[in-house]
Amino acid sequence: MDSLVAQLQMQYRNYVLSLYQQGFLDDQFTELKSLQDDGSPDFVSEVLSLFFDDCVKLVGNMARALDQTGTVDFSQVGASVHQLKGSSSSVGAKRVKGLCINFKELCEAKNYEGCVRCLQQVDIEYKTLKAKLQDMFNLEKQIVQAGGIVPQVDIK
Amino acid sequence: MTVEQEFEAVDQFPVGMRVLAVDDDQTCLRILETLLHRCQYHVTTTDSAQTALELLRENKNKFDLVISDVDMPDMDGFKLLELVGLEMDLPVIMLSAHSDPKYVMKGVKHGACDYLLKPVRIEELKNIWQHVVRKSKFKKMKSIVTNVESTDNTDQNGVKANRKRKDQFEEVEEDDEERGNENDDPTAQKKPRVLWTRELHNKFLAAVDHLGVEKAQPKKILELMNVDKLTRENVASHLQKFRSALKKITNEANQQANMAAIDSHFMQMSSLKGLGGFHHQQRQIPLGSGQFHGGAAATMRHFPLGRLNSFGGVFPHVSSSLPRNHSDGGYILQGMPIPPLDDLHINNNNNNKAFPSFSSQQTSLMVAPNNQLVLQQPSYASLNPGGFSPHLEINKRLEDWSNTLLSTNIPQSDVHSKPDALEWNHFCNSDAAQAGFSGANNLGPMTDAQLLRSSSPSEGLFVGQQKLENGSMPSDAGSLDDIVNSMMPKEQSQADFFEGDWGLDGIIAHSELAYENLFLCFLCNLVNMRKSVLFRHNQLLLPLVLSFFFLLSCKKKPVSPLCNLCFKHDGILFVLPMNLLAVKEWSNL
Repeated sequence: MDSLVAQLQMQYRNYVLSLYQQGFLDDQFTELKSLQDDGSPDFVSEVLSLFFDDCVKLVGNMARALDQTGTVDFSQVGASVHQLKGSSSSVGAKRVKGLCINFKELCEAKNYEGCVRCLQQVDIEYKTLKAKLQDMFNLEKQIVQAGGIVPQVDIK
Repeated sequence: MTVEQEFEAVDQFPVGMRVLAVDDDQTCLRILETLLHRCQYHVTTTDSAQTALELLRENKNKFDLVISDVDMPDMDGFKLLELVGLEMDLPVIMLSAHSDPKYVMKGVKHGACDYLLKPVRIEELKNIWQHVVRKSKFKKMKSIVTNVESTDNTDQNGVKANRKRKDQFEEVEEDDEERGNENDDPTAQKKPRVLWTRELHNKFLAAVDHLGVEKAQPKKILELMNVDKLTRENVASHLQKFRSALKKITNEANQQANMAAIDSHFMQMSSLKGLGGFHHQQRQIPLGSGQFHGGAAATMRHFPLGRLNSFGGVFPHVSSSLPRNHSDGGYILQGMPIPPLDDLHINNNNNNKAFPSFSSQQTSLMVAPNNQLVLQQPSYASLNPGGFSPHLEINKRLEDWSNTLLSTNIPQSDVHSKPDALEWNHFCNSDAAQAGFSGANNLGPMTDAQLLRSSSPSEGLFVGQQKLENGSMPSDAGSLDDIVNSMMPKEQSQADFFEGDWGLDGIIAHSELAYENLFLCFLCNLVNMRKSVLFRHNQLLLPLVLSFFFLLSCKKKPVSPLCNLCFKHDGILFVLPMNLLAVKEWSNL
């Protein structure tokens, strides 16, 4: 049992580290993690699910805005991008945030092609992140089920 | 609530501070909520600005602080910020992913206490409670200032003016309690306190004026004022303060008037000196401060106390003897007869409080809208070494001048040199008097002027005061003279002026600012001056012209009317005594 827990913990640690290293997550995520305590044990997962819901909504908005025949309302797209940027930076979704910054510039430049491309990237990116975090949560669950505690991952 | 109690509450205060968080982004809102909980605040969240407003309006005392996102679909965050500031006067912190300085600027301009960038860190949130404290303190101070303002109008005498800010603060606090204002919870932003703002006070004054100071009743005043949410009690306590201050002033005024009757020449001297002072401050004195008002009112009040006597008589001599060298303020005074300074000393001593103001001899000509005037006094008086040391040199000069001046009678000098006529005219003719001032500013203490500009307001005032003393008195002398001569060649004959008691009869008040004019008007009423003319004009020339016309249009009276030209220039209120005799004298030249 112990070795299983230890193994899982090791796995977990590595996985989380890799997420940071690959730029999926940043310090803000660490902050979020620190806010999670016994009082709110599922805080991080709650917030992240809210975040992904937002992503779906916003990406949908952007797609619709860009999809219009006729003149595209870039300001509307920009507004959604801005919001996504805010959310992603708040949860620590580093890559998504980075994309949003680019996206914003493209909107300001009214670069339709660029925007469409960027939107696709955003779409892919958040879904990837979602999957990765899902795995992470699963690992956490496994650890807890195995009787261990989820280790604090120290990001250097 | 006493100050101590308030501080106590503040100590426990950050804990449980009630925050309203508004953000349409649910992710951020959730995070924010948790962060705020972590800081031990009490949090209410909403994703809609409209809902937030409703919540706030429902109970203004329910929240201490609002944190709001900038980009919201139903309402612009800045708009919400404004509304909250206006309606509830709560501190609002803006939150945004926009790091662009222009947004930050916009936030600040719309009244945000702070602007945080997303992602928000807990460290930043840990300190936001300071905004609540700051705001409540500010509001307290604001009400003090306005109270001081209004009380100062009526409360000026040396002692009271001397009072420390703290005393006033405490007094106001008591007053607030008197009025039944609730001040129990420092975190409750909404204080049902009556702020006696300038406008409100002016309305009050107008009402009292209409009814007559003696007969004014709170109820009637209230009706006349016609201000919402003002209660009879508010008016009553304000009236009480007003009346007590009034009493003090008139008592002092009577006292001063008696003393002043003795030293007419002396007055001339001092008034002349005062004139010189108006030499100008390049610096603008901030007028927003209630202190200024208080000061202005105060000084103006004492103004009748000083008998500005046969100022004119002295003038020509002064002007003719005016050396071009203005570096010493009192320089011009050399060679002029002056009454023994003893009187002056005595008088000044009597009134020499921290707010020396106008002891009888003080012609407080240089009434600066603040204690500037106060400072001014010492220079004359300061024939008392008790005065400000910088003035000592001037004082010495002044002494010399005084001595010489009074020993001879008002000499008839044919030599009316107009050494400073140009300066004066220049001064008058210049728009912002900037040019004029610089023109007139041959004075040595140029550096003082610069010092003035750079110094902090309170310092600057003082320095400015100094400068006033050092100022181009001569130029004024010459120029006024000049103006009179040039302007009123014919009317001079009208002036069959009277000797007799010199009394303060009228005031010509000029100010660039309406409220100051009102102040002056109030003062006139206060001391029962028969004539008050108010006008505002940025140019100096026009008021001067008008004032002279006014002067000369005064009919003969048993008591010679003494008019004073008051004008404000460059932030300094000048009061020039002018009397008809002076005009007459000038006409003889």
